[in-house]
Amino acid sequence: MQKQVFESEIGESYIKALHPSGLKIYILEKPQYNSAYAVFGTKYGSIDTCFSVNGEKTQVPEGIAHFLEHKLFESEDGDAFTKYAATGAYANAYTSFDRTCYLFSCSDRFYDNLGILLDFVQSPYFTAETVQKEQGIIGQEIRMYDDSPEWRVMFNMLLAMYKNHPVRIDIAGTVESIAEIDDKLLYKCYNTFYNPSNMFICIAGNVNPEKVLNQINGAIKTNAPIEIERIGCDEPEEVCESYVEQKLEVAQPIFCFGYKESMDKPERTAKEKVRTALLLEIIAGDSSPLYKKLINKGLINDEFSFEYFTGNGYSAVIFEGESADPKKVAEEIKAEVERLKTDGIDKKLFSAVRCGMYGEAVRSFNSVKSIGSQLVECAMSDSGLFDELKYLKKVTPDDVYKRLSLLDNNKTVLSVVNPE
Amino acid sequence: MSAKIYSLSKGAEGLFIKNERFNTTSVSFNFYLPLSDGTAAEYALLPFMLTTCGEEYPDFSVLNYKLSRLYGASLDASAEKLGDYQLLRIRISVINDKYTFENESLLSRATDMLLSLIFKPKAENGAFCEDDLNREKRKAIEHINGEISEKRIYAKNRLIEEMYKGKSYGVPKCGTVDDVRKVTGKSLYTAWENMLKKAFIRVQVIGSSLPSRFFETIAERLDGVSRAEITDCKLNEPTAPIEKPNEITERMAVKQGKLVMGFSSDMYGDDDVSLPLMVMTDIFGGGPYSKLFSNVREKMSLCYYCSAATVRGKGLVTVDSGVEAENADKAQREILNQLDSVKKGEFTDFEYEASLKSLRDSLNSYNDSQVTLDTWYALKANNKTLYSPEEIGGKISAITRQDIINAAEGVKLHTVYKLLPKEEK
Repeated sequence: MQKQVFESEIGESYIKALHPSGLKIYILEKPQYNSAYAVFGTKYGSIDTCFSVNGEKTQVPEGIAHFLEHKLFESEDGDAFTKYAATGAYANAYTSFDRTCYLFSCSDRFYDNLGILLDFVQSPYFTAETVQKEQGIIGQEIRMYDDSPEWRVMFNMLLAMYKNHPVRIDIAGTVESIAEIDDKLLYKCYNTFYNPSNMFICIAGNVNPEKVLNQINGAIKTNAPIEIERIGCDEPEEVCESYVEQKLEVAQPIFCFGYKESMDKPERTAKEKVRTALLLEIIAGDSSPLYKKLINKGLINDEFSFEYFTGNGYSAVIFEGESADPKKVAEEIKAEVERLKTDGIDKKLFSAVRCGMYGEAVRSFNSVKSIGSQLVECAMSDSGLFDELKYLKKVTPDDVYKRLSLLDNNKTVLSVVNPE
Repeated sequence: MSAKIYSLSKGAEGLFIKNERFNTTSVSFNFYLPLSDGTAAEYALLPFMLTTCGEEYPDFSVLNYKLSRLYGASLDASAEKLGDYQLLRIRISVINDKYTFENESLLSRATDMLLSLIFKPKAENGAFCEDDLNREKRKAIEHINGEISEKRIYAKNRLIEEMYKGKSYGVPKCGTVDDVRKVTGKSLYTAWENMLKKAFIRVQVIGSSLPSRFFETIAERLDGVSRAEITDCKLNEPTAPIEKPNEITERMAVKQGKLVMGFSSDMYGDDDVSLPLMVMTDIFGGGPYSKLFSNVREKMSLCYYCSAATVRGKGLVTVDSGVEAENADKAQREILNQLDSVKKGEFTDFEYEASLKSLRDSLNSYNDSQVTLDTWYALKANNKTLYSPEEIGGKISAITRQDIINAAEGVKLHTVYKLLPKEEK
């Protein structure tokens, strides 16, 4: 196995290893901790609805990656939760737009738990009966999200922003789309995306890296690597609709205001992500002039937040929160973007925000879960765990100013959920 | 890791938890006061008011800027319910000096800021300023009203409101919207004075070392306050069983229903007496090995989620589930059947062992999170003996099957609250 060690100025270091199967392994050891956190993941999420292997094109129903995640917990010899119950670990899994991750955390019997994880993720077992039963359970989950104003306001925005890209569809699919899923389709997706060459294992905590690598080495089923072609779509630069609304049981309107970014290449780099995060703090962070104005005008409260939402073929800046007047909030954000384009970046604010983000990045190394999640980001985007610290030390106001061009006031969507 | 207690003043103590694994140090002030409908809204406003401005930090924007300069020091405020008491928390945490660009001294600056915010508020003539007050009142009202958006929390709060009408525990932790509206600059200033005078105070530091003269400085500040009528937060009124359980159904424009159930327990109190109730609740509705998850959710597919929790100080057990309207009655019956099975000892050794292992595993991880540890000790202020998470993990190992059956036998249905979709006209 090829191995590399990466070290940082803050006293942390990690190993990146490449298994002959193509599986990527990341381990950060925390000997002074009691616990450890492990993730076995695949680059396969809700956006992978159309793909091709060896020239054979396949279109699958919306929500199938999430469905597969649910089903994988069942193996022929019982379900994974029962196996973890014998060790005491906490186990879970999640599916997002571009990935599916299976995880556990524990303070005892780490290697037994790793054995369970390696085993069940590599042992699919689907039958027509178990698939049918799961359709009922996931149907309930979908209805639960239908009642969630935060979920609805976000997906309504994505639907209005993207015309063709599958990021516009709900991660769990719809009751109708999951009805089309059967055991054969699940096996097809499994055999495509759960190939070790498309997967990663990320571990942080009180573990012995050599022992972990030996265990993984002995447990990985070496399927021949496959080339997956993810079939993209022609996504226009423009948004579909600039305003959408829905009514639900909420006390006051909640909103999601997004800027669609043009994609000149499939993915954003780690450096671009750090610079954009800094820019967003300068635009709307809690020491920015805009935040002060919005609070003092009574337009936002502590629920206000923002994020850089980006993955394969999609990229957007999203501001969200509760407001008596979401349209006014959107206008104020647009005006601040224009002001910054004209006036430039306030150097004093830049310096404080950079300092704050650096401290946050250092702090994140306190938590094995946070480190594990950051390692997953590294595996997904081939970046380094200490890139953020490195880029924050070097970044200049001018670097941040250049990122302002991604915010085009003609490519925005305001999604609102209003009270019934 | 070790915990050391320092006496600061009458009814005020400092707790230093030495833990060298973190790259940050955290300091929290915890004020414990009786939970009462006359004062809940005012007290709940205080942590937020005190962390958005102060005499030395007149504007929240300036304060946030200074926090960024302190390498993103986090300043958190909350108002929580701890049995029949209200717990007001203000916490600051900063990265340790050696991680700064130029070995800057952050911790002393952060603790100075915290003391200034708590002891020197921005006020004139014995009243908080109108602009600041109106801003915090608006945010508090929006927060209280906003609970309806999160149906799971809303349904659980409605259950507690119904179960504890006219009692301290039934008072919402941040008061009501009407009570918030009534707060004035003067009344809030009086509430601040009362907080410093009457609250039981616990100051907690978690990190590799105690800032120099830190507890001595706080003791000197408290010397300037005439401490009296100090809250004894060890007196919780247990939940009394009732003859005929209450059933409440409300309807709303939702697609999925919520079924929450409240039970009284004749086992209640602190860690020395109520740990069997904790294990019983876990076997009943904790992890995936529990009765509710494995039967009501997995085998019978009656709920998307179904779990149990306990407030041991109050002798309260709750069950919380998301159900389709047509399954609500069936799910209710099945939840009660599962409780009966625990009462009859119909749980396997595997389920019993799984619960003990899961609880111990989780407790042994607490030392790896500064926030979790800080919360752990803050919520234990009403305990006669202060146990660490590992010590509780050790005590759990001694709990027998019979202890669990005994705990379950005292659990009686009190109130059922259902939030269901509006009926089709």
